[in-house]
Amino acid sequence: MIILVGLNHKTAPLAVREKLFTECQGEVNLLSDLLAIEGVLEILHLSTCNRVELIAAVDETMQAAEALKSFLARYGGLTDEQAAGCLYVYRNEEAIRHLFRVTSSLDSLVMGEAQILGQVKDAYRQALGQNATGIALNRLMHRAFRTAKRVRTETGIAANPVSVSFAAVELAKKIFGSLSGKKILIIGAGEMAELTGTHLIGNGAEEIIVANRTVAQAVTLAKKFRGKAIGLDALDDGLIDADIVISSTGAPSYVVTEEMIRRCLRKRKSRLLFLIDIAVPRDIDPAADGIENVYLYNIDHLQDIVDENIKNRRREALKAEAIVAEEVARFANWLMELEAVPTIVSLRSKAEGIVKTEMVKAQGWMGNLENGHRDKVEALVNGIVNKILHAPVAVMKEESVEFASQDIVAAARQLFRLDE
Amino acid sequence: MTSLELILFAAAGGCVTLATAGYLLSLLIKKIQFAKVSTWLLAAGFIFLSLNLLLAATHSVGWGNFGSRHFLSIYAWAIAGIYLGLQFKTKTRVLGAFVAPLICLFWVAAAGQEADKNLVPPQWQGWLTTLHLVLAIAGEALFVLASAAGAMFIIQNSLLKNKKPGSMGRLLPSLGDLDRINHLGLLWGFPLLTLGMIAGAVYAAFVWDSLWAYDPKVVWSLVVWIVYGVLLHQRLAIGWQGFRMAFLSCAIFVLFLLTGLLIRFCLPTQHSFI
Repeated sequence: MIILVGLNHKTAPLAVREKLFTECQGEVNLLSDLLAIEGVLEILHLSTCNRVELIAAVDETMQAAEALKSFLARYGGLTDEQAAGCLYVYRNEEAIRHLFRVTSSLDSLVMGEAQILGQVKDAYRQALGQNATGIALNRLMHRAFRTAKRVRTETGIAANPVSVSFAAVELAKKIFGSLSGKKILIIGAGEMAELTGTHLIGNGAEEIIVANRTVAQAVTLAKKFRGKAIGLDALDDGLIDADIVISSTGAPSYVVTEEMIRRCLRKRKSRLLFLIDIAVPRDIDPAADGIENVYLYNIDHLQDIVDENIKNRRREALKAEAIVAEEVARFANWLMELEAVPTIVSLRSKAEGIVKTEMVKAQGWMGNLENGHRDKVEALVNGIVNKILHAPVAVMKEESVEFASQDIVAAARQLFRLDE
Repeated sequence: MTSLELILFAAAGGCVTLATAGYLLSLLIKKIQFAKVSTWLLAAGFIFLSLNLLLAATHSVGWGNFGSRHFLSIYAWAIAGIYLGLQFKTKTRVLGAFVAPLICLFWVAAAGQEADKNLVPPQWQGWLTTLHLVLAIAGEALFVLASAAGAMFIIQNSLLKNKKPGSMGRLLPSLGDLDRINHLGLLWGFPLLTLGMIAGAVYAAFVWDSLWAYDPKVVWSLVVWIVYGVLLHQRLAIGWQGFRMAFLSCAIFVLFLLTGLLIRFCLPTQHSFI
């Protein structure tokens, strides 16, 4: 049986997640401690800033689930009451679905983000390295990665940016094509501008100029980007060089006016200019948008794009859930067959054993028979045994698909005394 | 035209038509995959057309069999070749949606010509005429590409200016790439057309003892040459780029296409084989 015990950003406050995260990270023997719990056959431990989860293959008793739960509660220093509120336990199909949704980033804070898949892969690698996984979890994890890949390629869940700074990067790419060699002018040493600048550099932009009212602050930020710092009085020169301008000052009036941009057009040879105004109140005169080859986006424009993309992601998430459901059904099937199959195998081998001993016993009188007749008797016996076994085996196979095999399998084991 | 030539010509037409449909479908349902397939179809069409022209050239004695159908095919062939060449450089597959219909148009025009009518007059056949024709056609094909890129630039520009990039904006190539194609089209098209016209003029000087012939098509070509020359000058020296260049190259292309057709069908001209 597969179970999943854990907590995430929806069920537990940051303080609890934080504590559990650091405790689990610090513990070197975590996996072997968990494997030592009675009933736990295979285990995997996933912990990120948003979730701590244990995925385990356990025997049929419910003790293992309770033990894992109290294990986590102990580590996180949770009271019984807290534990009851924060921790969730999923079994079988529910556990598989949860894991597949987590890996496909459907359960993430920012739906469709790409990090989680890497984190799950790391967790699996760690468990694999410590021999903590076996046939069930290995197959489960590979299915989870496959599901995540399908979700990424078959749906558009991760296609479009859902943060303002990434939306700005995507727009810059739509304007310039490649960002390599592009120059960025950052006006105001705000955090948001810095973040957007970082993303733009990550996508190939090269030169950074930071302009600020107090030059000292500009110098600090410019150092981070290995760029140039200028004062606001030298803004005109900056505008001549720049391809992308990100403005986020606290100024009460326009820092960049339409007139300033028109003035530098000739020197810019009317190169394309992308203006990003993330300040409130606005830094760049909206009239600048009317200038040819100038594209001005303010914070509302960017937010609109982000909202639209989030809406798209929700739509795509429905497709993703269908993929997850399909993969869960496929894996659950396999898992269930896994339980019926050993029973069928032992039933067959028991029957074969009986035939063999009886044939040995009968060797005395069968010696009188001609060779050809002896073979015929053997074929007859095998035929009868197979006919008798055919029905129970078929029923076990059928039922194992329907989730109800456990009772039948148990009955078969009892009736044929397979466990003795 | 031999039957093999005809088969190749028809295969090229089929590929180009399918490619056009695929490109337009790609725009319509906003899926890049169709454009990718269409690029391969267009490449297949280009190869068929190349083989067709190659066969025609080997079968013909000098310029003996070359006529309107071949010249219009060469237009389609040159546009397709240059566009496909650009595909290696930039990821602008969707631009095919504007280029492929034009290729298709030239193919249809070529197919509409009777194969052995409107041939180059025998007394004109010579290497200088070949040079004149090939260079002029290549130059004009590059202008076609520049204009198609300009048209797409205008659409992408309006999407970005209206703050509605959406899925359409995501599908279309970036402004920078489109502007670069416009630039390359003018930059290479102009010298090729210039050389083509010089070859024509030199030939005219030999045959008619005059560099200049008052032929409507010659006048038309000179105007095309001057206008694109001015455009290129503005681009290189003054630094016009982006929207203005896109708009002008588009408008000028439409104007020239219309006047070109008018001259072709309404006025008597020495260049009646094109």
